[in-house]
Amino acid sequence: MTVRRRQVLERLAAMSDADAECTTTVGELAASLEAEEDRVAKHVERLAACDLALHRPTGVRVTVTGEELLALDTDGTVVVDPSAVDAGP
Amino acid sequence: MLALGSDDPPMACHDEPMEPVTDVEMEVEPPDVRQVLLDAFGLPKAGLDICLCVIGEGPLSASEVADALGYDRSTVTRYLNKLVDLGLLRRSELNREDGGIVKAYHSVDLERMRRDTLIGFYLWAGEAASLIEEANVTKQDYLEENPDRELPDVFWESFPED
Repeated sequence: MTVRRRQVLERLAAMSDADAECTTTVGELAASLEAEEDRVAKHVERLAACDLALHRPTGVRVTVTGEELLALDTDGTVVVDPSAVDAGP
Repeated sequence: MLALGSDDPPMACHDEPMEPVTDVEMEVEPPDVRQVLLDAFGLPKAGLDICLCVIGEGPLSASEVADALGYDRSTVTRYLNKLVDLGLLRRSELNREDGGIVKAYHSVDLERMRRDTLIGFYLWAGEAASLIEEANVTKQDYLEENPDRELPDVFWESFPED
């Protein structure tokens, strides 16, 4: 089954938590989405490159950035520019 | 010509009876998105490519867009900001866990865009109508309302009705 990256992010947000540092695994994500694990793993890698997901020793979780992006309630098409970092004063 | 109503007496044109047309196919070709963006917004090819890429699958990183399209990442970022200026994309700032901000560019809500444009047009039309109404005062009206002021050089003239 083809799975979209947005779906992976949404499911990751449902199965993990940024504040509580609660993680899940790619395998659990893939099973939940009924998708191929390799495919889901690639999406997770891309999400991590966008600072939307974070690998931890216990698995993977959504980040605060990922949660905020989902809260934007866009129709799912987003380009994230991690280079445009404003670290502040 | 499209005519509604009864056909009694039969419609004629140049004394020739007209035949009812029942099999009408009016096919309107949908506009090509690329051409609309090029014509309406004057986007160069790079901006167009990036715009269409953002309309696709996401979330994407700017580097991923750059790799997919064969542009420098700086070019992608520059055009993303240009597309925001044109109102084709929206930009939001998201917090990073380690501090700082990440910029997210996302497609606009087309229905909202249409609604905002329509509201903007109505506001503009209202202001324009108000200005026209304000300017549509006759010389006589002006003199009556401002008896001690000089008449401006340019003024609407009133013409007596025949």
